[in-house]
Amino acid sequence: MKMKNFNKKLDKIKANSSNPFYVPDGYFEDFPTRIQDKIISENKEYSWIFKLFKYVKPQFALGFMIVAFTVIAYTTANFILSNRTNNIDSELFTRTIEVDPSEFTEQHFIDILLEDEKRFEEDKKEETDFYIHYLVDEDIDYGTLIDEL
Amino acid sequence: MSDYSDKELLTLFKDNEKRNYAFNLIVRKYQVKLYWHIRKIVIKHEDTDDILQNTFVKAWKGLDGFREDSKLYTWLYRIATNESLTFLKQQKTKYLMPLVDYENQLKESLESDEYFNGDEIQRRLQKAILDLPEKQRIVFNMKYFDEMKYDDMAKILKTSVGALKASYHHAVKKIENYFKED
Repeated sequence: MKMKNFNKKLDKIKANSSNPFYVPDGYFEDFPTRIQDKIISENKEYSWIFKLFKYVKPQFALGFMIVAFTVIAYTTANFILSNRTNNIDSELFTRTIEVDPSEFTEQHFIDILLEDEKRFEEDKKEETDFYIHYLVDEDIDYGTLIDEL
Repeated sequence: MSDYSDKELLTLFKDNEKRNYAFNLIVRKYQVKLYWHIRKIVIKHEDTDDILQNTFVKAWKGLDGFREDSKLYTWLYRIATNESLTFLKQQKTKYLMPLVDYENQLKESLESDEYFNGDEIQRRLQKAILDLPEKQRIVFNMKYFDEMKYDDMAKILKTSVGALKASYHHAVKKIENYFKED
């Protein structure tokens, strides 16, 4: 009942009053021309971009093909080279031998052991070099070192 | 105002030589209705003008692909509604401070709007409408001011008639409460 009354009130407000909003003079007369101008200018802009794109499209396609070809070639070459230079470390040798020892001769074992020993010696040499350089840089003579120890 | 039917206008538009003329007639036929539909949502004339222009530019771009299974005016109203809602969303994200409420700003702008000359009761009604959630506000405006049929509203807003009736009912109730409290 209350709602109906308010609906009547709303109807009354609408009936008793004109549109409270208004527009600048001549707005609706000018609007179609303005919109036409806007569409023409957008079309010009669009056609300019479209024409440019149409002109540079083959160059874009060629550039893209070159880039794609370079990427593919580089990736393939990288893959092949990395496979070729992959060193098998002694641990892998050991594991492979564990699987099938019949294929390995005594010489293989000796080579691996020598290789490991060589690597160990290289590491040790590097460590020794480090200490020698330290003693030389700090100007510590043998006597002082013995005294300290 | 053009005497052409929508179908005739669309046929005219498909003719490349008469395309601009046909579109001009479409603009002349619907500009006033769409203007007021947008104005009731965004309130300010300058914003309405921008949105109306965008609406017609979008219509121009989309008219080639327009399928005639819906009415032209339903389609144009839908574009205008979506453009208005997008505009409101943009305005709300523009003001990042939580205390700044865009609807409150619009309410305040009613006091100083040079293109609003309503009396006190109309001002109160507009403020009450601005208090409604966006979609309810659109439904209320379309029903109350534009006196649109629920079937047409359902096509424009892509919702059911039942939902629209419920939305309008809630809107009226909220406006009634606003009038009581104010």
